[in-house]
Amino acid sequence: MAFIIRAQNVSFCYSEGESKSPPVLKDINLQFEKGEFIGIIGHNGSGKSTLAKHFNALLLPTKGNVYVKDMDTKDAKHLWDIRQTAGLVFQNPDNQIVAAIVEEDVAFGPENLGIPPEEIRKRVEYALKAVGMWEYKDFPPHMLSGGQKQRVAIAGIIAMKPECIVLDEPTAMLDPIGRREVISTIKKLNKEEGITVILITHFMEEVVDADRVIVMDDGKVVLDGTPKEVFKEVEVLKKIGLDVPQVTELAHQLRKEGIDIPSDILTIEEMVEFICR
Amino acid sequence: MFRNITIGQYVPGDSAIHKLDPRVKIIITFIFIIAIFFINKFSGYIFAMLYLWLVIRISKIPFSYVLKGLRPVIVILLLTVSLNMFFTPGGTVLYTLGPLKITSAGLKFAVFMGLRLIFLIIGTSLLTLTTSPISLTDGIEHILKPFSKIGVPAHELAMMMTIALRFIPTLIEEAEKIMKAQMARGADFESGNIVNRARGLVPLLVPLFISAFRRADELAIAMESRCYRGGHNRTRMKKLEVHTRDYAALFITGVIVVLIVWNRSWAW
Ligand SMILES: Nc1ncnc2c1ncn2[C@@H]1O[C@H](COP(=O)(O)OP(=O)(O)OP(=O)(O)O)[C@@H](O)[C@H]1O
Ligand SMILES: [Mg+2]
Repeated sequence: MAFIIRAQNVSFCYSEGESKSPPVLKDINLQFEKGEFIGIIGHNGSGKSTLAKHFNALLLPTKGNVYVKDMDTKDAKHLWDIRQTAGLVFQNPDNQIVAAIVEEDVAFGPENLGIPPEEIRKRVEYALKAVGMWEYKDFPPHMLSGGQKQRVAIAGIIAMKPECIVLDEPTAMLDPIGRREVISTIKKLNKEEGITVILITHFMEEVVDADRVIVMDDGKVVLDGTPKEVFKEVEVLKKIGLDVPQVTELAHQLRKEGIDIPSDILTIEEMVEFICR
Repeated sequence: MFRNITIGQYVPGDSAIHKLDPRVKIIITFIFIIAIFFINKFSGYIFAMLYLWLVIRISKIPFSYVLKGLRPVIVILLLTVSLNMFFTPGGTVLYTLGPLKITSAGLKFAVFMGLRLIFLIIGTSLLTLTTSPISLTDGIEHILKPFSKIGVPAHELAMMMTIALRFIPTLIEEAEKIMKAQMARGADFESGNIVNRARGLVPLLVPLFISAFRRADELAIAMESRCYRGGHNRTRMKKLEVHTRDYAALFITGVIVVLIVWNRSWAW
């Protein structure tokens, strides 16, 4: 099986030597398959952003190795290939849009890769259409809503034709409508374009239909499995200060009251289906 | 308070002047400025006036709008004119005001200088009125590019201008937000003397600066992860192309310059 990203025994400290800080990542082992939709959750400070930055060589492991398509992130000659293969989308859309016009911002990545102008045009069109922002190509970013800005930021990554996008809390600063826009865009890219998605989030609802959910706590991976396997562990999740989807919580409470209900109910539909049976 | 700040004073449009290649427009503006300094008699201004009139008509920008560009420099204009008027010796004395004398030579020279300034300002403001800041940036980058071999940071300058254009509206929005938050807590930005008002700005500027630095930091990381590595090996999506209209514009400008230079040797 071809892994798009592999982390092998990865440990990381922000500063080394004299003023050595405690490790933020502790012996992490992870493998992501091509085309997977992976959710990463964990409370504040658990090391999610730090891990995300390892996936495109913005940070290099203190111990261990990260491989992107078998390229070692420590190998400087692959740096640009790695960053083109695994694109990173950040939390604040305002601080990742570079140009004063939407289409020029989407062109920024391909321009950096030295792609010929005609090909850049095609890619910009493809990327903006993929996120549903083509009509806004001539807009200045500050005239867009938060959700629209974040979709432009995603288009900026898509235009580099990555095989994998890592999104670090892309919806944290958005209102519910913006959040829905962004999440459905990400899901569409995963399904229709076959792009591997790694979604870091605080919202459990966003990962209930992921292929795989990873739970981080204090720099370690504590749970790793399908959403059903992970959210079943209500007690473990609560202990590390995480919520479970509301419906799962309800099912959990009902079970505690002695009602015979499966513990792996994640969505309202599943709940309705179970109750009406 | 900040809403009415516009960057440059670009008036969107699709006239032939708007569509000219920004490089050509910048170069033409320079040629025009230099030509203005070659004018040595009043009749020379007729050509410059004709030229500006033609440009304004084609660009479809209202005259009133063009004249508005003079407003911020009116003080400098008046100062220059009056200094020249009172302190140029020679000619017959036309009017005496205490120790100050207005001479015929002084009056002539003052009007001459005033006209020169007005033409300069209108000429340059026509550039910014008809060129969006973004294509202006592109134009500057392309014009400077040949000089990057001798150490002119053409790409870096253009990137800085682009980022400034991108973030000015964002920072203005943020300043307004901070101001409203401070006003809700009783801060007063509008009354008091100038010292008090300046002091009142401190609680606005400090958070604004802190946030600007944080933004810069995040933007740098985002740019790096989008494979930014300076101007080296970088291509551009938008290619600047010189069309027939650009050659036409250069030709007309050339004719005006020739007339202005020729005019120097006329008798009147
Ligand atoms: N640039 C840095 N220098 C030093 N320490 C840092 C730096 N960035 C993060 N840390 C520390 O590393 C730890 C993990 O931070 P990280 O940002 O990876 O967490 P996170 O899971 O993304 O949290 P959040 O949910 O708040 O985004 C925190 O304890 C934080 O204080
Ligand atoms: Mg984070």
